[in-house]
Amino acid sequence: MSAETAGPETLGSLSNEPEHQDPNSQQAKEISGKSPLRIALGRLARDKVAVLCALVVLFFIICAVFAGPISKLFGVSLDTGLASEYVDGLNNGLPKPEMGPPNGPFTWDHPMGVAPRTGQDNLAYWLYGCRVSLTIATSAAIFASTVGVVIGLVSGFLGGAVDKVLSFFIDMFLTIPFLLAALTLAPILNERFNTSDNYSTIQKISLICVLAVFGWMGTARLIRGEVLSLREREFVQAARVMGMPTSRILFKELLPNLAAPIIISISLMLPAFVALEAGLAFLGIGVTDGVSWGQMILDAATPVYFRDYPQYLWQPMVGVVALVLSLNLLGDAIRDALDPKTRR
Amino acid sequence: MKRNKPLALVAGAALLTLAACGGGSSDNGNGDGGTDRKIGAQEGGSKDAERQGPAPEVDGAAAGGTITVYLPGDPGPDSLDPTGGWSVTGNSIQQALTSRSLTQYSRDENGQPVLVPDLATDLGTPNDDYTEWTFTIRDDATWEDGKPVTAEEVAFGICRSLDSEAFPSGPGTEYSKTYFAGAADYKGPYTGKDPNCEKYDGISVDGQDITIKMEKPFPDMDYWGAFMAMGPAPLGNASKPPNYGTKPLSNGPYKVDSYKPNEELVLVKNDQWSADSDPARHQYADEFVFKFNQDQAKVDEIMLSDNSDSQTAVSTGLGSGNYNDANAQLGDRLVQQTSQCVSTLTPDYTKITDINVRKALAYAYPYEDVWISGGEVPGVTRDYANSIMPPGMAGKKDFFVDGEQIKYDPEKSKELLAEAGYGDKPYPITMVYYEVDPLAKDAQDQITKGFEAGGFSVKAIPVQESPYNIWLDPDNKVNKKLNLRGVNWCSDWPAGSTMLPPLLKTDAVYNTAFFSESSVDDEMDNIATLPLEDQAGAWGDLDEKIMTDYFPIIPTAFRNDLFVFGSKIGNPTGDGSIGAPNYKDLYVMQ
Amino acid sequence: MFAYVVKRLISGVLVVTLVSMAIFLLFWYGPSSPAQPICDRETSNRCGNKIELYEKTLGYDNPVYEEYGKYVKGVFVGRTLTIASNDYECSAPCLGVSYRTKQPVKEELVKRIPATFSVAIGGAFLYLLFGVPIGVAAARRRGSITDKALVSSFLFISSIPYYLFALLTWLYLTITFEIPLFSETGYFSPIKDGPWAWFSGLFLAWVALGIFGCTQYTRFTRGAMVEALSEDYIRTAKSKGLPTRTIVYKHGLRAALVPVVTIFGIDFGTLLAGTIFTERIFEIQGIGWWSLQAVQGRDLPVVQATALFSAVVLIISNLLVDIVYSVLDPRVRLS
Repeated sequence: MSAETAGPETLGSLSNEPEHQDPNSQQAKEISGKSPLRIALGRLARDKVAVLCALVVLFFIICAVFAGPISKLFGVSLDTGLASEYVDGLNNGLPKPEMGPPNGPFTWDHPMGVAPRTGQDNLAYWLYGCRVSLTIATSAAIFASTVGVVIGLVSGFLGGAVDKVLSFFIDMFLTIPFLLAALTLAPILNERFNTSDNYSTIQKISLICVLAVFGWMGTARLIRGEVLSLREREFVQAARVMGMPTSRILFKELLPNLAAPIIISISLMLPAFVALEAGLAFLGIGVTDGVSWGQMILDAATPVYFRDYPQYLWQPMVGVVALVLSLNLLGDAIRDALDPKTRR
Repeated sequence: MKRNKPLALVAGAALLTLAACGGGSSDNGNGDGGTDRKIGAQEGGSKDAERQGPAPEVDGAAAGGTITVYLPGDPGPDSLDPTGGWSVTGNSIQQALTSRSLTQYSRDENGQPVLVPDLATDLGTPNDDYTEWTFTIRDDATWEDGKPVTAEEVAFGICRSLDSEAFPSGPGTEYSKTYFAGAADYKGPYTGKDPNCEKYDGISVDGQDITIKMEKPFPDMDYWGAFMAMGPAPLGNASKPPNYGTKPLSNGPYKVDSYKPNEELVLVKNDQWSADSDPARHQYADEFVFKFNQDQAKVDEIMLSDNSDSQTAVSTGLGSGNYNDANAQLGDRLVQQTSQCVSTLTPDYTKITDINVRKALAYAYPYEDVWISGGEVPGVTRDYANSIMPPGMAGKKDFFVDGEQIKYDPEKSKELLAEAGYGDKPYPITMVYYEVDPLAKDAQDQITKGFEAGGFSVKAIPVQESPYNIWLDPDNKVNKKLNLRGVNWCSDWPAGSTMLPPLLKTDAVYNTAFFSESSVDDEMDNIATLPLEDQAGAWGDLDEKIMTDYFPIIPTAFRNDLFVFGSKIGNPTGDGSIGAPNYKDLYVMQ
Repeated sequence: MFAYVVKRLISGVLVVTLVSMAIFLLFWYGPSSPAQPICDRETSNRCGNKIELYEKTLGYDNPVYEEYGKYVKGVFVGRTLTIASNDYECSAPCLGVSYRTKQPVKEELVKRIPATFSVAIGGAFLYLLFGVPIGVAAARRRGSITDKALVSSFLFISSIPYYLFALLTWLYLTITFEIPLFSETGYFSPIKDGPWAWFSGLFLAWVALGIFGCTQYTRFTRGAMVEALSEDYIRTAKSKGLPTRTIVYKHGLRAALVPVVTIFGIDFGTLLAGTIFTERIFEIQGIGWWSLQAVQGRDLPVVQATALFSAVVLIISNLLVDIVYSVLDPRVRLS
């Protein structure tokens, strides 16, 4: 259970961990006087691919944060009238010609067209779907890395029995098939809260929890490895001798030195979680209120719509692919920038 | 009869179809091009007690070949035990091909189902007040192992239907248990540890005659006899559940070759079946392969591609997205069959007490939008409904509650609410929807929008299981909060007695409206005692009276099925008695 | 070595036990009674107060540890399960009876293994067959335009979420280009339906898995190869004047294969444990497809069995990988 996986059915790189890096190497000499993060940023700025990817990611972040104003600007919203105003039930449920493609010319009323069967505005749902996707991925990544960092720190620093137990749990969680676990958990969580008024929020929170619960192991291992090498260093030994409480050593002395691996693990988690969120929605669990790229893909990926109305599939597809791709490449670049030993 | 589709908001109960005057249906609908389809007007409940085997040959029929039947989104029966079968899918297949019963349906030249004898030599003889029925069992029917089907075995099979613990979802729980004399005190052969059914004296055998005593008048026993639960079972342990359900002994023209529940059922010719003993079944194809749980989109692709595989295939469904293409391309091979089912919304009679509010709901329900977003084709697979009894049922009347068909009209809804004194703020509605199915979710969105435009406020609770689990469980916490539920109901046979009482009688299981009026209950009891020829009309009158005076239930649609037949399937027709392809008369063109 | 294997096996058994307990508890303390799904199903949604009968016969009125004990015992010696008034024989190793089909879960599991394994083996075979040689070739031409184009286009493909890639493969190959031979996807028994049906039903799934995996293995192999070729002993070999062929294949590839084999082992284990997306998209009725159906149909014994099956396969394959790793790389000592 120790190496990274590259397999397709793992869906992304949930259990990916970057190559072990040694912060103790020769890089230190040439860069004295600058903080490692600044050096890394400088490297990133010179990497064209990274800059491009950062811009793409920024675009998605803007879409997500300003989903409301942007839709207002285009005059579209999530509020849709009755289906028969938009789609033709006798023509395979496809949009009416005046709603734009595929049966009519482009119209500014619905710049990306409307969905077949329901008549929902694609642009509005796309924008809010972007927001859902990024919110869930970001919160889950923060949540999972927090858990991972704490467990890694404790396990690596305390060692002994605690380390053994925690490592066992890391191994155990790596053995549980994530998709099956999510499939089982999601309905149970949803059923518990289904009468609540803000059900859709709770649904998203439970999705974040599921993602986080099965996503922390990589970080935990990475941090544990780092801590194992750091705790023998002089400044930690010194702090111990001075009688500093363990928690202070952990969070004041060790944590700042772990910035690089933490950033790396978050940057790897983000695209994995974006992909997972959409993937789970595609399997019919996760977000079910329709405002999700994965659900749009699920709805659009039928032979009829694909043949007659392919852009309906392409819109969410491009969203997921572009976001995951640029997050992945950006993550790689960050990793390279923080650790010059890796090569591409 | 329930419909076996867990992912669609279907389910319900009850089966058979048909009957008179074919009103109310369908000349709207039909897109551009393609064949103009009309749901055939069905003649009501015709019977032919004299019909004898063999069944007349189908014109041009040839023997041989394999027919593959795709059942999209339909998991099929969980068990093949004839006594437990109460689903459109299972019963339509088994009753047509493997499992004989007292009576059966035959499709006549006009497409009408006719009740004809099966294992009995006629349609049974009742006494004057329908409290005792006698059937004479024919002596030339055989099991697949060549042994004759005896009257004892038929009686034992009928007796099994009284075991409501061994067959909790069997139709016997509804009919045998209710009508057979002393059934309430008899636990059945398995639960009651009476393996040969000796302790029950409601059924007696005398030579080839079987006599069933009734607790109360049961004029529809001949229809009930068409259920495979009213057929034979091998005596003793040979038919003990649950094992018998995986490979029941066949006595029809086909026998079970292999059965993987929820996946595949293969039937092959039963060479022990003799055509002379059977008035309605044929044995043309060599083999039937039923593939359950198929993906709708993929089946549509296969059926529309007309390749060598799909030419001898049948599909029991068509995705709405393919309706236009299929309609233009397939012509007669796309069969639209009325399924004798009605979809309803049931306002809680104890909570929504004002008839105007219930009518306002009917005006605020956006019928066509719900159909479209739920993946149905307006006017084709769903049609406006004027009353509870489906078109074609004997005695059905073409009346309209407010003089004309109720359609979506939010202004009228608001007026009615104002009239009822709820004009100033939205009237709250609480309902559930099946969240796992995106189509159900989309349909719910439309309902919410329509209701809100009509002056209601809607709280829609998502559920992860069939809504029926909620609606039918009086102790369910969610159920207690609801004031609007729903039922989709199909008739078990073409008489009002299988539509009105199950939905509207006080304390009936599927009476999710909790409608209760003693005058209506009395009238229902009374109709069962009328002379047979007056009953149909009386049910029709009662239907109109209930809807006009109380409007306790909002019929939202009459339902139709679409069947697709491959180009080499002969005699592509639907079975009007059950809402399934007409398996009895299909053949492969050679 | 032997001690290590025993240690790993013990920890594996512990993991499986904990996982099975977790699932058991999850259902036990879920929002609705664990007997609810089967009761609803058996009674056509009219469960009502019959739930007590089902809870009683299924043992859900007993304490949870007692029932878990029975479950574990059933795995070793088999048991007779009672659901309402019907008895179901379930021989060891008993994993329960499916709530939907009433078949012993074990038998169905065994029946579905060939489908999942066919997908996994075929896909893995394809991506190794193409991925490793392309990776080696790219590493040899490191820095050339071909290498750069290959690496960046493969990076692009492997950054797409796999299920989208598979979905597009299916849509394009069956809908847009209408490849008639392979459009009917699914698992067909090579013995009953013939090898051709088996092959054509799985072909598209293999292609999707193969192409996607190939892009990743190319990158992996290339990375490992580049690393190996920059080692000192390679430089020594070069300066000795050994032919390039010998250097690359004998010295370089051998070293580079170690990490690749390790990763492949783990990947392959994951594939064997269930290919949910592949099976869902290509309608292959293997274990992944089955588990999806079970979750939707709330078929608890099946959910439990598939989860345990996946865990066991993963544990075994990881253990095998570690052992193989120690054989391949003598520097590693298992302890």
